[in-house]
Amino acid sequence: MMKTNYPSRISTGIAGLDEILAGGLIPNRTYLIRGGPGSGKTTLGLHFLSAGAARGERALYISLEEPVEQIKKNAEMRGFNLEGVTFLDLSPTSEFFKETLTYDIFSPAEVEREPITAKIIEQVEKVKPRLVFLDPMTQFRYLSPDVFQFRRQVLSFLRYLVEREATVMFSSEASAEAPDDDLQFISDGVISLENKAGERTIGVDKFRGSSFRAGRHGLKLDDKGIVVYPRLIPIAARKESFGKTISSGIPEIDELLGGGVERGTVTIISGPSGVGKTTLGLQFMKEAAGRGERSVVYSFEEEVEIMIRRAEAINIPARIMIEKGTLTLKKVEPLQYTPDEFAYLVRQDVEEKGTQIVMIDSVAGFRLSVRGEDVQSRLHALCKYLQNMGVAVFLITETSTIVGDFSITDLNISYLADNIIFLRYLEIQGEMQKAIGVLKKRLSNFEKTLRQYDITRYGIKVGRPLTELRGILTGAPEWIEEKDL
Amino acid sequence: MKSGPLILLVNSNPRNIELLEQFLKKAGYEISGTTTLEEASQFLEGAKTPDLALVDITGFDQHIWTFCDALHSREVPFLLISPRYSSALQQESIARGARGMLVKPLATRELLALIKTMINQE
Repeated sequence: MMKTNYPSRISTGIAGLDEILAGGLIPNRTYLIRGGPGSGKTTLGLHFLSAGAARGERALYISLEEPVEQIKKNAEMRGFNLEGVTFLDLSPTSEFFKETLTYDIFSPAEVEREPITAKIIEQVEKVKPRLVFLDPMTQFRYLSPDVFQFRRQVLSFLRYLVEREATVMFSSEASAEAPDDDLQFISDGVISLENKAGERTIGVDKFRGSSFRAGRHGLKLDDKGIVVYPRLIPIAARKESFGKTISSGIPEIDELLGGGVERGTVTIISGPSGVGKTTLGLQFMKEAAGRGERSVVYSFEEEVEIMIRRAEAINIPARIMIEKGTLTLKKVEPLQYTPDEFAYLVRQDVEEKGTQIVMIDSVAGFRLSVRGEDVQSRLHALCKYLQNMGVAVFLITETSTIVGDFSITDLNISYLADNIIFLRYLEIQGEMQKAIGVLKKRLSNFEKTLRQYDITRYGIKVGRPLTELRGILTGAPEWIEEKDL
Repeated sequence: MKSGPLILLVNSNPRNIELLEQFLKKAGYEISGTTTLEEASQFLEGAKTPDLALVDITGFDQHIWTFCDALHSREVPFLLISPRYSSALQQESIARGARGMLVKPLATRELLALIKTMINQE
């Protein structure tokens, strides 16, 4: 009898993939896993079956290509528990080569199909599997005299399994010479794996009867198996805690910012090298830590130990904050993370550990991790997600010019910012000085003047507004003399 | 048990003979398989005259035609099997008395139907 709704979903054995599939696979259906060589099709199947077996469901692995002994050995080395998974080995034995078993009087379809079909039916009747993984279905193509027969054969085979209440996953080896479009049409769902320029992705192309998270998502394939990092979609997350202002703990900076920065906003801290951008961000975190809130810094450039020492030298007790759990410094090696993996890391910190302030130091480092992809859209998705979660975001951007022409970021991301704080070097009467100013503040009024900014061993010191100078933004300001006023 | 019609197989590949034999025996025919021309000629000299011969030319040389003539003179209907289609080959085989030429791979159902009609005609 047909059921009108799907009471439960079946896990694929991969948490991230279940999330993309809106909870998992719909039972009693057929799914195509497609991808090139080494893209992880077999591994995905192993996840599917071993997770099912762990739930106590009968699982059947039908191998048409790789010898079962080899599959089992590889799987066990990677820590898959295959107890409760039945294997059916239909791969050719070495006898085939040794003895003259080649023939040409009939087509393979006429000769081999029957014994293979008989073996499959025998196993299916014996095991009565709820989960079946067939690797690869394309092998059947050689057992069919033509495309029409192949399609009919596959269809009726899948129907046979589904009628016995099995959820079926089958792989296909698609290439330009042998496309698998027919299989894509036949199946209820299509999951595709890709390995492009060393970056692995997974995507759902089709999923009958269910919504799914579109697009390509990050995938990591290592000796433990597959981990999927679903791409962040800001709309998917929502949490109300906006508007509350976070103080910097330094009255002058709060005055500049009209009180501080708000939760759920993005603040760009811009300035040239060494001016104290990271320190300013840490200052907000120090103050938040005093209220017991948790902050995370993702450092793409600086080592954690150096950051701690630097912070301690200017009266920000980073080590104590870390010990208390109110601060986490994470060194992110940009070339080791894909954008989706990084987003997943951030999500864990926010959703599982309740992080309230996030600092990305710096945007240039983040850009490296994106590797040529569109930085803007990746950063946009991440910031919007964090905003929706009510997190205060600090983006550190370094400007290439020390003095002179004024710019906020070298990347076109200033539109992302609700607040822009800039730090500058000034040359005043032959002396290097620093200044802080606010360029944009979406949610409140702010001071339009600059103030002197200094980092001392007691912390950040900010002076009175620099109203006696003009031409500050050029970097070489002049004193406004009495007679000019 | 009454034995079925006898089919002589000439094929240089033993696996091909094995498959044909399996398949034709299931359909109720008696089979005699030979992998060389000498063997096949010897069989023709023997007591039993086959009702039909299936001759796969793969792996044989010009002497195959002499064998075909021998089949023809004994009024044994036969079919030639060729790995590819060639009209010259087809003409030659008809001239030598073959009932037709089949191109590999053979479709089992059609082969069976063909054999049945040929044997019933005799």
